[in-house]
Amino acid sequence: MLLVVAEQRSGSLNPVTLETIAAAQTLQQPICVAVVGSHVGDVALELSSCDVSEVLTIDDVALEPYTSDGFVVALSQVVEQERPEMVLFPHTYQTRDFAPALASRLKSSLIADCVGVTSKDGKLLLSRPMFQGKFVAEVVPVGTAPHFVSFQIGAFRADSLKRVTNAVKTREISVSVDPSAIRQRPEDPFKEAKQAVDLTQAERIVAVGRGIKGEEHLPLAQDLAKALGGELAASRPICDSGWLPMDRQVGSSGQTVAPTLYLALGISGAIQHLVGMKGSRTIVAINKDADAPIFEVADYGIVGDLFEIVPALVAALGD
Amino acid sequence: MKQVVARDWPLRVDESATWVRDSDASFEMNEPDAYALEEALRLKEKHGGEVVVCSAGPGRLRQVIREALARGADRAIHVEDDVLATADASLVARALSSSLRKENFDLVLTGLQSDDQGFGQTGVVLAEQMGLPHATIVMEVDVDEVEQGRIRVKRELEAGWFQWMSMATPALLTIQSGINQLRYATLRGIMAAKKKEVRTESFNDVSEASYRIVGLHAPEKSKKTHFVEGTPAESAATLVRLLREEARALR
Amino acid sequence: MQLWGIELEREILEVDVLIVGGGPAGLSAAYRIAKINQERGGDPLAVAVVEKATDAGGHMLSGAVLDPSALYELIPECESLGAPLETPVSEDQIYFLTERLKIPFPFTPPPLRNHGNFVVSLNRFVKWLTDQVEAIGVDVFHGFSGSELLYEKDRVVGVRTGDRGVDRNGHHKSTFEPGVDIRAKVTILADGVRGNLTKTLLRKFSLDRGSIPQVYAIGIKELWELPEDRVGPGTVIHTLGYPLEFREFGGGFIYALPNGTISVGFVAGLDYRDPLFDPHVAFQKFKQHPLVAELLSGGQMIRYGAKALPEGGWHAIPKCYVDGALVIGDAAGFLNSMRLKGIHLAMRSGICAAETAYDAVKAEDVSGNRLSQYAHLVESGPIKRELHPVRNVHQSFASGLVPGLLYSGLSLVTGGWWFRDPMPGHFGHVRMQKLSSRVDQARSKRTSGVLVDRKLTFDKLTSVHYSGTRHVEDQPSHLHVLDTDICRTKCFEEYGNPCTRFCPANVYEMIDVSQGDSKRLQINASNCVHCKTCDIMDPYQIIDWVPPEGGGGPRYEGL
Repeated sequence: MLLVVAEQRSGSLNPVTLETIAAAQTLQQPICVAVVGSHVGDVALELSSCDVSEVLTIDDVALEPYTSDGFVVALSQVVEQERPEMVLFPHTYQTRDFAPALASRLKSSLIADCVGVTSKDGKLLLSRPMFQGKFVAEVVPVGTAPHFVSFQIGAFRADSLKRVTNAVKTREISVSVDPSAIRQRPEDPFKEAKQAVDLTQAERIVAVGRGIKGEEHLPLAQDLAKALGGELAASRPICDSGWLPMDRQVGSSGQTVAPTLYLALGISGAIQHLVGMKGSRTIVAINKDADAPIFEVADYGIVGDLFEIVPALVAALGD
Repeated sequence: MKQVVARDWPLRVDESATWVRDSDASFEMNEPDAYALEEALRLKEKHGGEVVVCSAGPGRLRQVIREALARGADRAIHVEDDVLATADASLVARALSSSLRKENFDLVLTGLQSDDQGFGQTGVVLAEQMGLPHATIVMEVDVDEVEQGRIRVKRELEAGWFQWMSMATPALLTIQSGINQLRYATLRGIMAAKKKEVRTESFNDVSEASYRIVGLHAPEKSKKTHFVEGTPAESAATLVRLLREEARALR
Repeated sequence: MQLWGIELEREILEVDVLIVGGGPAGLSAAYRIAKINQERGGDPLAVAVVEKATDAGGHMLSGAVLDPSALYELIPECESLGAPLETPVSEDQIYFLTERLKIPFPFTPPPLRNHGNFVVSLNRFVKWLTDQVEAIGVDVFHGFSGSELLYEKDRVVGVRTGDRGVDRNGHHKSTFEPGVDIRAKVTILADGVRGNLTKTLLRKFSLDRGSIPQVYAIGIKELWELPEDRVGPGTVIHTLGYPLEFREFGGGFIYALPNGTISVGFVAGLDYRDPLFDPHVAFQKFKQHPLVAELLSGGQMIRYGAKALPEGGWHAIPKCYVDGALVIGDAAGFLNSMRLKGIHLAMRSGICAAETAYDAVKAEDVSGNRLSQYAHLVESGPIKRELHPVRNVHQSFASGLVPGLLYSGLSLVTGGWWFRDPMPGHFGHVRMQKLSSRVDQARSKRTSGVLVDRKLTFDKLTSVHYSGTRHVEDQPSHLHVLDTDICRTKCFEEYGNPCTRFCPANVYEMIDVSQGDSKRLQINASNCVHCKTCDIMDPYQIIDWVPPEGGGGPRYEGL
């Protein structure tokens, strides 16, 4: 049985959970989804339309708000009771905060940030990026179950999730969590405008290079980024000219990114840039020069004038 | 603190295809750990105390230890073992905790993750093994003046959200990168570093790792570049369709 | 130093001998002093070495075929200490190349015979040597550049290291660290070819008044990994001819290391006439020659680097001592251009300087007079014995390949004699012809570029990536161009902006400006591999190379 640990905040499901369930579904084994927190009924209901065996609720007032101590204590009881083969998480900040401790407490460790999972002859094979996305490693878990795995956000598609029409049954699991044993005292979360943009967190990126010709043409790329729900980035010469701030630079002297979609507009593909984005899942390149090195790493390419193609793309995305 | 192969080093896979060739490589301090060190040095400057650097791995990481001492750390602990360079987080954490347990640290700081394996766990696992409360992705540390033995930290949550949290010390924090400017090691610092204590300890745990790397390769493009043809309007429409249906890269 | 009227407070470090530069010359000097300390006892001299690279050997680049004689003298037990001399030279080959053919020389002239020498990686050698120096108790400070000489009246009293933490507009960042004043009784300058401190010293004291102009060459090199040992380890191949024109000095080299690793490189004299010449392109063309292309096929380029070499020979070496300072190594120009070797001479000069400095400090007299003992040691010892007979070799090539070869052959017998001794020499940059008077234009078969396939041949940007060059981005440009208007106007017309060609790292670009049809000079300072070619070759001599923030630069692992 595979146990997927859902993520929710204040009664609202984090949709990346659906990706994790979709990943679990590829392994063709019974799946239970665990929701941890307080008053999680609505979340459980939402999850009960997924094609899984059961939704488990671990509902305790001490588990809201999230603390790593609370979750580790609660989930270790759940794992010991339910004895899953694997415990699966989406690789979120929250997962990173408690899942390694949970795994450690259960004498295992977390194989984190995986982008692929296959089962071959009963053996599990996971693939994950290493060396900042420069390489992909194939990893096998060793030792006795349960094995703990987290999946990279965007690696699996939430829309490939299989659903059912009849709601799956929900079961409550009672755990004993001693509130005084929870050592973290969190305060309420608040929003703050971040100083610098963190391209490494973006799922879709539109990057511009010298082909954009001038600062005045940036809005074109910005429109595309907006239409895609992504971030704007640039190759070095653009940032050197001051057209975009340094924190939007991708490459060996900027950030290394590996988003789900990377669209390179008018970027030739000098190796200094490539090392910063090669690990992206899908790369699209638009460039006038058919011999531009960017096409060597692109999955899709259009040889043409970006000033004509980009507006067409924005229009096509609008449909 | 971890030593990793230098950032933009052209790396290649080794013969066994389970690690990279690093015999000739340049090594450096894992950058996220450098931020943890910087935060520790700032806390010392504000509140006094002692900064101890601890690292687990082969002999070559002396270079990184010396640099940390040159930047201002007071002394160091080196848990020496070649295997630890490529070991998993739980083994490394065990190595570190075996030495750290012997002393009473108020705060243990680590970087968020390493530039090589990038599991981002050693800190959290270490906290669990040592029985310390922990907080991850810490942006600011506030030593609570009101209550002795407590700290308040600002954590980064996703999508522009933040949260303050308080805990009792001793505690472990994983520090977010980029929160401070890293200081230089001064000439004087380098000279002073030579006289600072570096305690070498050995580690004799032969327990099994919980995972094994069986293959390492550069991400191959599975197919050749699919060139989309046609007028701008046509190719745009085709591309969007492909991205949506084939690559599934759009929302 | 004045910054907006505020005197910066700088730390002072006092030593007896300060060595600027952690290459073979500087390290040999450091080692020798420490050794003398050990042998003679008494109060040991305090010695420090500053080196701008972050890692030992990081900025070291050479072919290289090492003559170990100086090493054996400096550290007799070097082999038992693990000196990286694993590959003795097994075979020497020389070829004359045309575009398609290779014509072997029937025999190897004695000076080019390498029996007893080793194919080495200078980077690894210097790493090892640094370990020895540190083991013997000398501090080597990496990541510190020498930015100015300190004087008391006209006596050199030390070096100020570069400030760190200055942003691109010259303002202090929060991490600002002022440079340190390292005061020393004797400062030994080992700051390499066209060393920035040596340059200022030469100018201040007109130390080159009595010598002919120093001339240079640029060496560009790649390290390749081949699927198997195509040529036996220890094979040394030199080539002349293609792709150079008749009056251009230089040639190619291929040195084989074990395990299919091979050094391939090209040297081009920085006194070429054609302003359109591009050494990087010449190197790519060299690789395309069947001799080289067949050798490299199926292999992978793993490292790239470039550096200038001093080629002027004996008569171009300036006066190397002043009150309080000595100049050694490539900074002075101790290179044998016939044998193509300079490492052992750099080491020897380091040893001579060490002995001089030691005696001077002990005698409490560091005047130029006292330090002239260095010149005496150089002139009465193996350095002059080696360099004097080949003193006119490079200059003889100014007349062309054949005259050069003839003279060189003759010099073997006559010990370098010539009617005019020294043979006249000129600064390399003055020989560059203007576009308008480009002689041999019709006859020159040189095409402007080369097809880049990114398997055998590469563009400059890709090459730079493989040099591992990294600089702090937010810092002032370390390439000071006195008047960029000249670039836009005069230079563009007269020479076609040769900096965009002779720089092997794509530092200089003429970018179109959106309005009007003129261009502007863009300096990509962070690509710089510290080769010094621009400082040497710019026809107006308006480029001044100064060290960037300490620690920045290439990382020449294995080169």
